[in-house]
Amino acid sequence: MGAITILAPVLVAAWPAFSAAVVAAATSLGYAMAKEMKHGLADERRQTKAVNSVQLQVPRSEVVTDQLGRDQTITVAREGVAVTFSRDARGKATLCVTGEGHSQAALQAMGEELSQRVVQRYVYQKIMNEMKTRQFLVVEEETDANHAIHLKVRHWES
Amino acid sequence: MPQREFDITIGADGEVELHVKGYKGKTSCQGATKIFEQIVGEIKSQRETNEAYEPDEVVQYRIDHRH
Repeated sequence: MGAITILAPVLVAAWPAFSAAVVAAATSLGYAMAKEMKHGLADERRQTKAVNSVQLQVPRSEVVTDQLGRDQTITVAREGVAVTFSRDARGKATLCVTGEGHSQAALQAMGEELSQRVVQRYVYQKIMNEMKTRQFLVVEEETDANHAIHLKVRHWES
Repeated sequence: MPQREFDITIGADGEVELHVKGYKGKTSCQGATKIFEQIVGEIKSQRETNEAYEPDEVVQYRIDHRH
């Protein structure tokens, strides 16, 4: 049959897959790893004083890790805003958005945009891996102006 | 071999729209949709296209006897 199905993503990932999605999403939005941004952030801190912070959760997420990996974090930064991803006590993926000279609402919007993009990159990678495993052929791939990713996949059944 | 096709749109928020094509009849398609349910997450909504109302596929074999 033909069918059109809308699926709500559920992110269940080990830390390496989750952090890979964070890096891919952050890069696509112009963020850089915090290590590379430390100097720039310090410079901007001297110029402005108001520091705001927003804590968000990635909806429908679970970061699976062992005892040793529980305290892992990854921080990305852009334009004086630092976003630190981590795993809370219940295993949910969380992010803390901190920035100087930005309102709470602006930080929340930036955090939500990045959080959604992380889920998108995670879903994209999971679909691509599964298509490869099943030997399905991705014949088209493009990203539109709304940042949606379009894939056309073909396979043949005997 | 019949060709199957999936048009997949992954929105900027991670929501996925999946258009399954090339399956005739309900039963032959449900497995394909199930794959994506397992990969992505929960089905929010689903609607069938015209192909859903065509009969389920039957594989036919022709055997030629040559004497």
